Amino acid sequence: MIRVENITKFHQGRPVLQDISLTIGEGTNLGLIGPGGSGKSLLLKIICGLVTPEEGKVFIDDIDVHQLSVQELADLRFRIGMLFQNYALFDFMNVGENIAFPLRQAGTYSEAEIAKLVKEALIDISLPNIAHLFPNELSGGMKKRVSFARAVIRQPPILFYDDPTAGLDPVTSSKIFILLQKMKEERGVTSVTISHDIEGIKGICDRFALIDEGKLVFNGTPEEIEACHIPVVEKFWQGYSDDELGT
Amino acid sequence: MDAPTTTSPQPRREPTNFREFLGAIGRPFVEVGGTVRGIFSVFGLTLYYLVRGRTRWKAIFEQLHEVGNRSVVFIAVTLGFLGAILIYLAGFQALQITGDLQMLGGLFLQLLLREFAPTIAAMMIATRVATGMAAQIGSMVVTEQVDALRMSAAQPIDYLVVPRFIATTIMMIVLTIFAVLVAYSAGALTAYLSFGLNVRTFVDMSFIGWFDVLLGLSKALAYGMAIPIVACHAGLNVFGGSEGVGRATTAAVVNASLAVVILDFIISGIGYVILSLVS
Amino acid sequence: MGSMHRLASKIQRPFHLLGSRLMEWAHHIGGLVLLIWHIFLCLMPWNWDFDGPEIWRNMYRVGVQSFPIVVVTAILVGAIMVIQSGLYIEQYQAHGLLGWGAGYSILREVGPILIGLMFSGRVGANNTAELGTMKVTDQIDALRALAIDPVAYLVIPRFLAMIVMMFLLVVVGNFTALVGGAITSQYLLGVDMMLFYQSIISYVLLDDLWHGLIKSVCFGFAIAVISCYFGLSTRGGAVGVGRSVNASVVGSAIAIFVIDFVIVYLAS
Repeated sequence: MIRVENITKFHQGRPVLQDISLTIGEGTNLGLIGPGGSGKSLLLKIICGLVTPEEGKVFIDDIDVHQLSVQELADLRFRIGMLFQNYALFDFMNVGENIAFPLRQAGTYSEAEIAKLVKEALIDISLPNIAHLFPNELSGGMKKRVSFARAVIRQPPILFYDDPTAGLDPVTSSKIFILLQKMKEERGVTSVTISHDIEGIKGICDRFALIDEGKLVFNGTPEEIEACHIPVVEKFWQGYSDDELGT
Repeated sequence: MDAPTTTSPQPRREPTNFREFLGAIGRPFVEVGGTVRGIFSVFGLTLYYLVRGRTRWKAIFEQLHEVGNRSVVFIAVTLGFLGAILIYLAGFQALQITGDLQMLGGLFLQLLLREFAPTIAAMMIATRVATGMAAQIGSMVVTEQVDALRMSAAQPIDYLVVPRFIATTIMMIVLTIFAVLVAYSAGALTAYLSFGLNVRTFVDMSFIGWFDVLLGLSKALAYGMAIPIVACHAGLNVFGGSEGVGRATTAAVVNASLAVVILDFIISGIGYVILSLVS
Repeated sequence: MGSMHRLASKIQRPFHLLGSRLMEWAHHIGGLVLLIWHIFLCLMPWNWDFDGPEIWRNMYRVGVQSFPIVVVTAILVGAIMVIQSGLYIEQYQAHGLLGWGAGYSILREVGPILIGLMFSGRVGANNTAELGTMKVTDQIDALRALAIDPVAYLVIPRFLAMIVMMFLLVVVGNFTALVGGAITSQYLLGVDMMLFYQSIISYVLLDDLWHGLIKSVCFGFAIAVISCYFGLSTRGGAVGVGRSVNASVVGSAIAIFVIDFVIVYLAS
């Protein structure tokens, strides 16, 4: 269970997140939506302890993330997988090494086990023959899938996806969503997904939260969001802009 | 600091009253203080992980290659020209003043060891290697690779800085010795070609004592430790896209060069005090 | 057959590497010459179309950006040169020559070189990063699309500002270096400041000062052209900007030493 309490974060004296509180229950798949630049990615980084907020606390399974020592934080992160917006594949490693990296860091797997797991992971993302390639030789969709494989290789119970389909064509996007769907159904993970593809994440998320200008505007189930009449939520959910060029 | 579009720059606001005036004076000091503190905290963490962390031989060898082998030509060209320039100038002065070039080679070697070889070689490394490190680590920060490292429970300082630190420290000493050889050979060649000075006369080790070697090596060691720390600090503190990477590389080369000059001043001063105490 | 082929490619590899390196150098040198020619054409009297305020703004930026660092470097360099000369002066008890030793080496050689290296790090690298960012974000192509010559519009003001400011900064740097040297000689070496000053006045020639200043203008020219060239030829996102800055400072450093050698050779 993830509990976010009163998070406030400033950037150069300007608040970018204001007093955000959220609870994500065990096995919940939360969709985090909102206009670009509203602080969604930042919130995700705060939740996994990459960024420290000025105020507020984050609890993952009742452990305060921002009070942990470096070692304890490292231990906690063994249970978290993250898919980054810009792929974040290590460009000095090939695909196989990239996927194996979290396993090697854990230090508890033998090389034979690592090789087997990496091979299986590559088959899971249906790219079995690319282990020797380097990230700059891959297309955007392939990079996303490799990055996904790296995020889930340690079978973490908690997964964060930061815009998994950004800049991908619809066909590739649907492949990614199939992978996310599989995670949800087969492993029963708790997840947070940031996406602008509302139609796509409707299939995998059972709760939605909308952040606008650093504030949590809405938090609830799809039925509630359908019934919600806050203008910004309606606009975002149905994907139109009624005022010209959206002021 | 600077917008990429200099075509429409924001005119810097002039201090309009006393408070802003004071702020304008104080801000640079606060900024410099923050940078210095940041550099020392990276240094402290590096030493911590150097002792505690795993030794990554593969990464260290890659960095040794990157820092050492790929700087050889650059160091050879710059230090070679420097040796030629110094001998040219010194030779003409010596001819005018004493008319005697017997001591030229010996004194030149001493000066190279004490000052020019370590410092200029370090300036060159600060130029080539520090920009490279800051650019590489900076673009890793921008593309979230550093965040991905942390999410995989790898500490960026342990994983990225420590191998660079070890490699640069080793290579700085090696390259300083190489720089002495190159500059001295270029000097000998210049002395032979323009003053007709015999190479046997030029190669003269009688001036050098343990003090000169020790001074040169301790400078090289200090520079070799400072440059990667300063460069990695600049790289790790990148924010904001390709503009940020550019800013970080600039900061890296400037801070690293300044660190070299400051360390040079401190070590030379200590060396002078020791020498005057001994004699 | 296969092993023969492998052997052949193994033998070829160093030549291939050498050749591609040479091609790369030739490419850069050609690009630099073309850029210099372009700048030269823009500076011809019949092409004069200077944006005065833009040049002033660049001068202000270049000068103010690098002023503190040049002053700090110069003071320390002055101190270091006095310490280094002091090691010999002590040995031969020739205190009257301290000013000459430090002054001669600072004005003629060490001052322009070190300030040049700092300038290339501060201003040259910044300039490359700026132009490189504009290039990778397609701003340069946007200028071309508006029928504005990027060289006339972006390079010329920077070029002029960098040459003028490099000259002025070396003047300031020379002065502060001598002040730093005088302070060091008084407090670390115990040689009276006045003796240091008189030694400079009586032994250091005006020629030495001019020699250094001529160098500074040439360094300014080289740094300006090289940093603009590598900025405008940037390719490939954030990584590319970093690579360009690296190439720019390395190229500037090589140019500084080569030009220095040529000037010293011609002057004697």
